[in-house]
Amino acid sequence: MSLSKIARFATALAGLTALAVGAQAQTPAAGEPIKIGAIVSATGAGAGLGIPERNGLLLAEKDINAKGGIKGRPIKMIIEDDASNPDTALSKANELIFGQKVVALLGPSLTASTVAVGGVTHANKVPQIAFTGIGPAVERERKCVAHVLPPQRLNAQALLEYAKSIRATKVGVLHDAGYGNVVMAELRPLADKYGVKLVAVEKFEIGATDTTTQAAKVKAAQPEAVFVIATSATPFRNVKQIQITQPVIAAIGSSSYEYVNAMGTAADNIAIPEFVVGEDPLPHQKAFVDLYKQAYNSTPKNYEAAAWDAAHIIASALNKAGADATNEKLCEAMKAPYSGVLANYDFSADDMTGIPIGSFVFSKLVGGKYTRTPFRVSQ
Amino acid sequence: MASLNLQRNLLWIAVALAVWAALPFLVPRNIADLLVFTGIYTIAGLGIGLLLGHCGIVNLAQATFYGLGAYASAYCTVMMGWPSITGFLVGAVISMALAYVIGRPILRLTGYFLALGTLALSAIASALFFEWDWLTGGTLGIGGIPKLDLLGFVLDRPSRYYFFVWIVAFACMWAAHNLVDSRSGLMLRAMRDSSTAAAALSVDLQSLRTRVFVVCALFGSLAGSLFAHHVSFVSTQSFTVDRSITFLLIPVIGGATSIPGIVVGALFITFLPELLSKLGDVHQILFGLALVAVVVLMPDGLMGAWDRFRARLVARGGSDA
Repeated sequence: MSLSKIARFATALAGLTALAVGAQAQTPAAGEPIKIGAIVSATGAGAGLGIPERNGLLLAEKDINAKGGIKGRPIKMIIEDDASNPDTALSKANELIFGQKVVALLGPSLTASTVAVGGVTHANKVPQIAFTGIGPAVERERKCVAHVLPPQRLNAQALLEYAKSIRATKVGVLHDAGYGNVVMAELRPLADKYGVKLVAVEKFEIGATDTTTQAAKVKAAQPEAVFVIATSATPFRNVKQIQITQPVIAAIGSSSYEYVNAMGTAADNIAIPEFVVGEDPLPHQKAFVDLYKQAYNSTPKNYEAAAWDAAHIIASALNKAGADATNEKLCEAMKAPYSGVLANYDFSADDMTGIPIGSFVFSKLVGGKYTRTPFRVSQ
Repeated sequence: MASLNLQRNLLWIAVALAVWAALPFLVPRNIADLLVFTGIYTIAGLGIGLLLGHCGIVNLAQATFYGLGAYASAYCTVMMGWPSITGFLVGAVISMALAYVIGRPILRLTGYFLALGTLALSAIASALFFEWDWLTGGTLGIGGIPKLDLLGFVLDRPSRYYFFVWIVAFACMWAAHNLVDSRSGLMLRAMRDSSTAAAALSVDLQSLRTRVFVVCALFGSLAGSLFAHHVSFVSTQSFTVDRSITFLLIPVIGGATSIPGIVVGALFITFLPELLSKLGDVHQILFGLALVAVVVLMPDGLMGAWDRFRARLVARGGSDA
């Protein structure tokens, strides 16, 4: 056999091997399932977050198993509802960890529940990936509790980046007493660094049905742009009613189809720093968006993607450390950079998130529809 | 005959104590956890039961005192680095003082107006828990509350904490029982059944109601401190008006005039949602239906229904004889 024939034979053999390996990777998983626990707020005040997250988790489970699972073994997602209650979340975590013997815990949806559950996962070194940004100081000590949503400081930074891009130096803020208050606390010290002056800061109660007075005070301060930081459609309607014509920049908390529908005609000309614009996804998000649309006949947004990422992150750690790895090894395997649909994470970072500001995309509501703007922040 | 009855009662008590002591070791950890919450809710519900069953007062402010106890424990241990007992004491003193100061004026009201007054107190406190974030941590809350440590024995798992919580709960039940059985208890019942007649008999209605309200606040605060040390984290989400309504349901479901009824009510509130959650997202609707069914079919609560059932059995046994 000549050298060229040997080379051709070797190339063909390598090709066949590669095909076989490829085919193996696509073989659906079989064998004893690896249990992964998840807690979401499918009912109660947090259902707007929990239901999309559950959809993302179930889709990820199907996807991971269709692609061969964890070294051939399927994963089984055991999803519990904490009814938006931290007490229930704690009981559910105990059931999943000690009753179901799950290898890792995903969720919960709300900060209070995350911190409550973190007390159990941290004490028992069970890997946890929460669908929240990092919360109170105690969470920084919990090095096996990762977060797939950005810390509020980053959300504040993203708002300021957009304000800077439109050259707004005098900004008015309308925020609620819950989520808005937390972002606001981060916004104040950052504003100076961006050369932005907060000319009016008005707070309203969570669940307020009218914020016209606060919106009017913001308007009277003649800002060049207005930040609305809330988990409600009400302030947006009021901003429109009192004819604030300056650009409105909303925090990610109000970016959901539910809120946009509730905004009605006010859902126009509002910029939002977020991560997933399902109507015009980034190239690396397209496969997920298509799969989601196929499965649920609706367009995904940030929380669906966050849950999808959390499931894939834990699957990746399991693939690295092995399905029977100890909790400590699984935690170590998790502490690495990961390119997800929502963002690029680095779980070895101090905030157990490591999302760079460059992962944000900036959408704009035009006539009630999301469009993606070309603006991005350089890394 | 009397000694036979005493022996039988003692046997029942011994069996009940043995079951109580063995329970956390026989059930899975999540059930032990729910039993801890049952104990905490029993303490909070006892105060409401005293007000509702013995004074005819609907108190919708228990989450306020529960929150004060929890935040006092969180602040004293995490922010100040003081021993856990200080949190319990500070919470209790603040709650009792607030109950006295607020109770004096609002307990002049009666019926729906009084219920609305307590609801307003709960709503104001809930808003303040949000607003005073320098004290409460606001939405982010206060985390890292240490587990209770009794002479070096750390109560860091539900099976350990269960004993502590239930011993406190039994002590509170004993105190409530003594109050109800005392001269004050008689005056309370007289006031509930006919306040005009009680006043004519020189019962100081205002003072009596305020005292019970203060006791109720003390129980609420104790429950809150116990909750904080169990969950290790407190945030505004745990002390909303919804929580006050949950606490009110405990005596309504179990039976407001019966101390064991409060335990039954706390078991109902803790375990039924957990059992129903296996049925999917409709679990909250089913829980609501169960509440309606109990209130409509058993207006005296589950213990009232049980007492009626037993009385019927005894009557049937008597007529058979």
